[in-house]
Amino acid sequence: MENKRLDEIISNENSRLEDIGYGGLPSCGNFLVMDASVLESMYAVDGLEVIPIFDAIEKYPRVREKLYFNLVDKNKSEYTRLASEAKPVGYYIRVEPGIKIDEPVQAAFMLGSTGSTQVIHNIIDLGQGSTLNILNGCTTSCQVFQGRHIGITEVYIAEGASLSYTMLHNWGENIEVYPVTGIRVDKDARFVSNYAAMTSVKKLVAYPTAWVEAGGSARFHSIIYSKNNSFFDMGARAVLEGEDSGAEIISRVVSEAGIVISRQMIEGKRPGCKGHMECSGLLLDENAVIHTIPELKGSHPDINLSHEAAVGRISSKELSYLMSRGLTEEEARSLIIRGFLDIGIEGIPPRIHDIIEDTIKKSVKGSV
Amino acid sequence: MSLLDIKGLNVSAGGHEILKGIDFSIEEGRTTVIFGPNGSGKSTLMGAILGLPGITVTSGTIVFKGRDITDLPVHERARMGIGLAFQYPPAVKGVRLSTLLDNIKDNDNFDLHVYSEMLNMDQYLDRDINLGFSGGERKRSEILQLMVQRPDLLLLDEPESGVDIENISIISKALSLILEKDKPLRKRRRSAIIITHTGYILDYIRADTACVIVGGYILGCGSPSEILAEIREKGYSQCMECYKDMVRGDTGGEQET
Ligand SMILES: Nc1ncnc2c1ncn2[C@@H]1O[C@H](COP(=O)(O)OP(=O)(O)OP(=O)(O)O)[C@@H](O)[C@H]1O
Ligand SMILES: [Mg+2]
Repeated sequence: MENKRLDEIISNENSRLEDIGYGGLPSCGNFLVMDASVLESMYAVDGLEVIPIFDAIEKYPRVREKLYFNLVDKNKSEYTRLASEAKPVGYYIRVEPGIKIDEPVQAAFMLGSTGSTQVIHNIIDLGQGSTLNILNGCTTSCQVFQGRHIGITEVYIAEGASLSYTMLHNWGENIEVYPVTGIRVDKDARFVSNYAAMTSVKKLVAYPTAWVEAGGSARFHSIIYSKNNSFFDMGARAVLEGEDSGAEIISRVVSEAGIVISRQMIEGKRPGCKGHMECSGLLLDENAVIHTIPELKGSHPDINLSHEAAVGRISSKELSYLMSRGLTEEEARSLIIRGFLDIGIEGIPPRIHDIIEDTIKKSVKGSV
Repeated sequence: MSLLDIKGLNVSAGGHEILKGIDFSIEEGRTTVIFGPNGSGKSTLMGAILGLPGITVTSGTIVFKGRDITDLPVHERARMGIGLAFQYPPAVKGVRLSTLLDNIKDNDNFDLHVYSEMLNMDQYLDRDINLGFSGGERKRSEILQLMVQRPDLLLLDEPESGVDIENISIISKALSLILEKDKPLRKRRRSAIIITHTGYILDYIRADTACVIVGGYILGCGSPSEILAEIREKGYSQCMECYKDMVRGDTGGEQET
């Protein structure tokens, strides 16, 4: 890690990094990757460790033997295979049992050269009863026009621990993105994922899966704003393996153009499992396509799974109501769209919430 | 010059002709009440004045503050000073009432909480606009929005229907404040058109004129209390003739009270 290079990059790419929240708030740890180089890797709290995954594999047999390519199958796809063959780049974040940390770990992954493929592998390892917030951002450097990002993420949340995991995507029109994510939520543990993609992308395919043990819960909240020729195939799956485990999947999609496929699945296997999903899509134009695929699968009678789904346009009644108070059509639309995307995410630090709000504001036309 | 001057207005909605040759005007500082049976075109008239989509003026003109606004978009009419309290206000999911109020106000020279307290709307500011509001709460939310919007012409579409007696009094107080009813007539600047079936609101807010709309026509205008008494006694159908006799040729707003 050369400090001079880091400073230079951070100042050159300041606005790109700011858009994904990197460096914008106090944090307990930082991790910055440009292409395949780790530019920053630090942590400043007892009981927390944020190190390159390559080092973690060397240092900890547990990571090597039990965590690395355990929740994600090496042979799942060409992307996982590619990741398993490359020298792993990414973070290993570990929190010791009982340690609760409010300030987030911030991580950013930047695609720095045109035409390249970035392969990232991250592992998160929360000890029993610990708490952590992670704010991840992915973006390209300003001069990158085309490229590919593959990201493997394996998340282990031990009994009673709690992870809030926020991911902001800020790619570009010619970037392809293939995240593959597996999450193990142990007994009475909590996982909350907040995902926001507010800018164009050539193709994004993701279907993170959480396996949830007894009393645990997994929540996936995602908001997507699709523009230009974007193609999103974005979903979430929760497999409720333990008694009284729960899941919530909420997705909101606004589309000006492009195609968004939104897949959600909750599978309940044991008594007392509870799951709810909500996917709504707002079509702003005739060129936009939103395809929602909500799936529920129950294999025990004593479960409660439900879903709501709706795809439509902005109601003209609501629009003219706001306009009758003197708002222009653009202002009225912007209020409605921002309201639609505001899913009132609980459990994330207010500052991260503000960053998401900012992201929404920037991408919705006519915001005031 | 009248604040609002409507001449020969024909209006259609959903492909049907609803209003037929409406002539109507209102002066600055005046309040006119409109009576008429269900489906007679009262709300359509207000929609046409504000320019709501789906309501088409096929002929005639609407002049407001001396300017022909017949073809202006709704937000421009609102900005010129026309404000409507909807008969059926829609809910807007995701948008907080306070957010809308912030967007409506044209200056910071007032304390929102004075208004919201006055209308018992304090606890509703952080809720989505009208979402899950009861009938009476929606009506109060409408009046609160108008208080912030401060229009010169208030169009009040059944502001008291579905509202309990105590809240009618609350709403009326707020409206009297906007309409400067405490000032002498010649000093009042704001005007109102109020649609009411029951006339309850007239116990609190004095109207200068009443007009009766039946079947898309204004049958006539006259003294609010006399017309209300006629309607109560005879109903609309039997009374068609009597308004004509009573107030032929008078199209509202001109009477001195
Ligand atoms: N979009 C539309 N399509 C078809 N008919 C319409 C449309 N809008 C209004 N109408 C009709 O126009 C007539 C007048 O409606 P309006 O809402 O103005 O009545 P109103 O006098 O306000 O009645 P109420 O006292 O019940 O509120 C009604 O018969 C109504 O069905
Ligand atoms: Mg009506």
